[in-house]
Amino acid sequence: MSFREKSAWISFVSILIVFGYYFTTVARAMLGLRQESNLFAVLVIAIAVLVVLEVVLHIVVAIQSPRDARSPRDERERMFSLKATQIGFYVLIIAALAGIFTMHLGAGRRDVGNAVLLAIVIAELTKYGAEIVYFRRGA
Amino acid sequence: MADAEIDNNIRRLRFEHGEMTQQELADKVGVTRQTVNAIELGKYSPSLEVAFRIALVFKLPIDQVFSYRGKLKR
Repeated sequence: MSFREKSAWISFVSILIVFGYYFTTVARAMLGLRQESNLFAVLVIAIAVLVVLEVVLHIVVAIQSPRDARSPRDERERMFSLKATQIGFYVLIIAALAGIFTMHLGAGRRDVGNAVLLAIVIAELTKYGAEIVYFRRGA
Repeated sequence: MADAEIDNNIRRLRFEHGEMTQQELADKVGVTRQTVNAIELGKYSPSLEVAFRIALVFKLPIDQVFSYRGKLKR
């Protein structure tokens, strides 16, 4: 497995775990199973954990294959990245519009903010997921 | 298995050139080993520039490394 594919896996799994936890917490707060006041702190901690996870895991993978990590993306890897970003962009537009639409269903400011954040997370997961699929298929 | 309409002789040429590994060819061309593998298997059609660089490694004209089996669109 190439360094870029490992990198895509790291980002995909890190985002899934960290924001999976965050949105579970949001859902519990919306259902009244948890205090709502500290959600901002949970978000800040989630972002910090995501950054640390990504940096540490990328360093570990880079140590295992330093030459791969140092070399720039080649044309095939750039193509995968561009195609995956394009798919992620369409998902972002649709999910963000759906998130904004919740405003018209009576959602508050914070809920709309969380809906847009969810749209970004889904788009990122789609992008990294698509990149992984391209890497697995080989083209 | 070949998804692309471009065939190539890279595998044979590598062995005729001192059993050159995919990694050695990749380093000379400036792509990853996985990309060389995808080209060899016909899963990925390289850019013209990479195709020329591969031909240059084997010191052959490009049409002795790659061939096109597609047809013209009328």
